[in-house]
Amino acid sequence: MLTREQALALVLRRLALLGKELGKPALEQADEQTRLFGEAAALDSIGLVTLIADLEEDIRVATGKTVFLADEKAMSRLTSPFRRTGLLAEYVVEIVGR
Amino acid sequence: MSSWLLDRILGFAAKPAFAGESGVVTYGELHALVVKARAALAQLRLDRPTAFGLVGEHGPASTAWLLVLAEAGHYVAPLSGNPAEHPAKLAVIHAQWVVVVEGLEWKLLPRVDEPSNHPLFAQLREQGAPGLILFSSGTSGVPKAMVQDFGKLLASYASRRASDLSMLALLGFDHIGGLNTLFNTLAGGALLAVPASRAPADVAATIARHRVAILPASPTFLNLLLAAGVTAKLASLRVITYGAEPMPEALLARLKATFPRARLIQTFGTSETGITRTESPEAGSTFLRFEDPNLEWKVIDDELWLRSRTQIAGYLNASNERFTADGWFRTGDKVEQGPDGTLRILGRMGEMINVGGEKLMPAEVEAVVLGVAGVADCRVRGEPHALTGQTVVVDVVSTQADQEALRSGIRTACRERLARHKVPTRVTFVPSVSGERLKKLRSEPAR
Repeated sequence: MLTREQALALVLRRLALLGKELGKPALEQADEQTRLFGEAAALDSIGLVTLIADLEEDIRVATGKTVFLADEKAMSRLTSPFRRTGLLAEYVVEIVGR
Repeated sequence: MSSWLLDRILGFAAKPAFAGESGVVTYGELHALVVKARAALAQLRLDRPTAFGLVGEHGPASTAWLLVLAEAGHYVAPLSGNPAEHPAKLAVIHAQWVVVVEGLEWKLLPRVDEPSNHPLFAQLREQGAPGLILFSSGTSGVPKAMVQDFGKLLASYASRRASDLSMLALLGFDHIGGLNTLFNTLAGGALLAVPASRAPADVAATIARHRVAILPASPTFLNLLLAAGVTAKLASLRVITYGAEPMPEALLARLKATFPRARLIQTFGTSETGITRTESPEAGSTFLRFEDPNLEWKVIDDELWLRSRTQIAGYLNASNERFTADGWFRTGDKVEQGPDGTLRILGRMGEMINVGGEKLMPAEVEAVVLGVAGVADCRVRGEPHALTGQTVVVDVVSTQADQEALRSGIRTACRERLARHKVPTRVTFVPSVSGERLKKLRSEPAR
């Protein structure tokens, strides 16, 4: 099981690493309100898919569970879990808890 | 038929023909095996062209039987590798006899079956032609049996000049590439060196022991050879030919640096149309130009179409829809046309990855990933993704302990050299890679 705090730490750490890779230092200062995808957001679609792939790997290492964060259910939610870091962290907790 | 080749073999009598696990065998000894096999065949008193399975690996006895069956106008399917696959293949051709070769000996086993009345065999019978049947992996997993006029195929080697450059048999006795190496060797009176297995160390040892000059290989195998650290044993190599899959530019550059005395020649072949010599417009180019009077080519919707004099008559057990009514074969290879009639093989049509409507071929990403320090081998594939339709995934065999740094290094290198949608989103670390394009080498078990 993951707590919200643990999940958020994973997301922010991953986002910081990706920011370094992409040459976007702002991502290293992200918090739970940081917009990920969509309007005025930090990542393009490939960037988001990359973040998700890396997070799935982190979750596998942390919990031993193989999860898929991006599926039709996630995509069809009214509020996309990929909108902001905090929402993604909550979604991670939910998926891992299933 | 094969009489010209048998005459030639007799003429080379004193020269070594095969080097392998049963020692060195001369052309004279090979001819003696031909005479013995001919006598054994005569004892069967066959009054019509008959289908044979020929079970064995590269060697003098298996070669003798291949040539004798061609000479007598029979139909032969060479079968190597995993014996578990043989019964289904024998059933497809309705084999009446099975020759099982072991070392310099053989056993002749009758097989109870009705002779095939397939039109392809009827066609060969009408022409009085011998038949060669090879199997290729079908997309559905059922091997496809390809029938061709064996006499025509052999005749295409008649212009081969005498040569003392020994060749290595990397691809099997049941593979068009392996047979191409065999017939080139025999027609030129050279030595065929057969390694104990296809492991890089065994291949390197065989090359060193028999001073092999010509190595027909695939880019994947050459990559493994470099990774295995055995290149010091390969000083005798003068010609390295490569084909069967796209050659990454980074690998070609490493090969040129490692083997400064060897010529690197691209070959191109399909089981359906045979192996063709090609020329590169300049050294180090991954473009090629067909230099074969027996082969016509054209490009239709980015796909390479071929028509050759040695192409198969058709499949016994699959639809012939990849052949047009006027004899063109749709290769399924996606190509790019360069200047002056040159071509570059990009990969298989079906391998195209579509990321949110933007397309790419795995080979172009693999070329970049292979150039990253710490990457021993890789395989790029598309994976379904809810966000982008498909996403680019690369499986990496790494020589580096810090996977996190390597993952970032791979993506950074791709970002620098490729369009955004081609950058792998997922980098996974695996002990080895396999795949459709690479299966030719990898699917064949070590001997």
